[in-house]
Amino acid sequence: MTEGTDLVTVPAGETSVGAGTAPEPAAGATPVLAEAHTHPAPRQYVLIAVVLVILTAVEVATSYLEGNVNSNLLIVALGVMAAVKFFLVVAWYMHMKQDSHVFRRLFLTGLILASVVYGILLLFFSSTVLKS
Amino acid sequence: MAQAVVTTGSSELAPGGHADHSHDTNTGVSNPKLAIWLFLSSEALFFGAFISTYFLYRGRDTQFLKGPTPDKLLNIPFTSVTSFVLLMSSLTMVLALAAIQRGDHRRLRIWLLATALFGATFVGGQVYEFTEFYRQGLHLGTNMFGTTFFVLTGLHGAHVTVGIVWLLLVWSRSMQGRLPSEKSEAVEIAGLYWHFVDIVWIFIFTAIYLIPTH
Repeated sequence: MTEGTDLVTVPAGETSVGAGTAPEPAAGATPVLAEAHTHPAPRQYVLIAVVLVILTAVEVATSYLEGNVNSNLLIVALGVMAAVKFFLVVAWYMHMKQDSHVFRRLFLTGLILASVVYGILLLFFSSTVLKS
Repeated sequence: MAQAVVTTGSSELAPGGHADHSHDTNTGVSNPKLAIWLFLSSEALFFGAFISTYFLYRGRDTQFLKGPTPDKLLNIPFTSVTSFVLLMSSLTMVLALAAIQRGDHRRLRIWLLATALFGATFVGGQVYEFTEFYRQGLHLGTNMFGTTFFVLTGLHGAHVTVGIVWLLLVWSRSMQGRLPSEKSEAVEIAGLYWHFVDIVWIFIFTAIYLIPTH
């Protein structure tokens, strides 16, 4: 499985022949990044779907343990399972593992920003406004 | 490690990759893909606001006592089935992309239609659920649960509906022969949106239906 990208430079009119064998760029050549994607095979997609379905089934079963298990433990377990499902879909179905780092950074920026902003919001308001 | 090729504008075939993935842009990546990832990043903030609001107000018993409570209304087995359907739609979506990338346009159309059908089933389930809740006395303004539930799941349902329309447009383009394999990025971008809608539901399903209310 590929991950990330390397840069190889190819002058105009020449063809890259393989990893590590590309020549230096011609003088005045404008570098343009070309991404190479090696997406997973359909079989791997089906395998991921099976894992997602199993995780969902375990999640639902776990939710029925309410009352028998500490609710904080239940919340943590459900949160972890949701996070694993999120990771599987983003990494494999959205090809974040194979695509350019630019997309990964862009998406993670939004996610981290959302987590920090709403984390602070929940911490602040749950301890002040809602306890009143 | 994938191999990326710096060219002077012509398409190159990098070892182990598909041909024609060069992007003559300032960023070196495809502009439409950059735009959709930027949009999805902003959508994370958008849905984060509504999920946080739901968590802020959940368990406020004085508010919940005004009308039907979540434990009396929520039908976990039913929503588990619709969640399963939405998960499967992500699989069919990615299979549609794989099909166009290998030039199999017949399967592309089948998988696109299957994805739209799964999406429509999910939205149908949501409409049924909303109707049931309404019959049992839960409206948008009944209590804080009604407000946060209908707004959050309703907005998600609207996103799924937009996704279905988008998929059908891609499908009709393919039917008209206006979607050659070189333009597989159109399917990829629609797919990115669709998968995002799926991952948002992963969290909504956990937050509303599975996490205990007490």
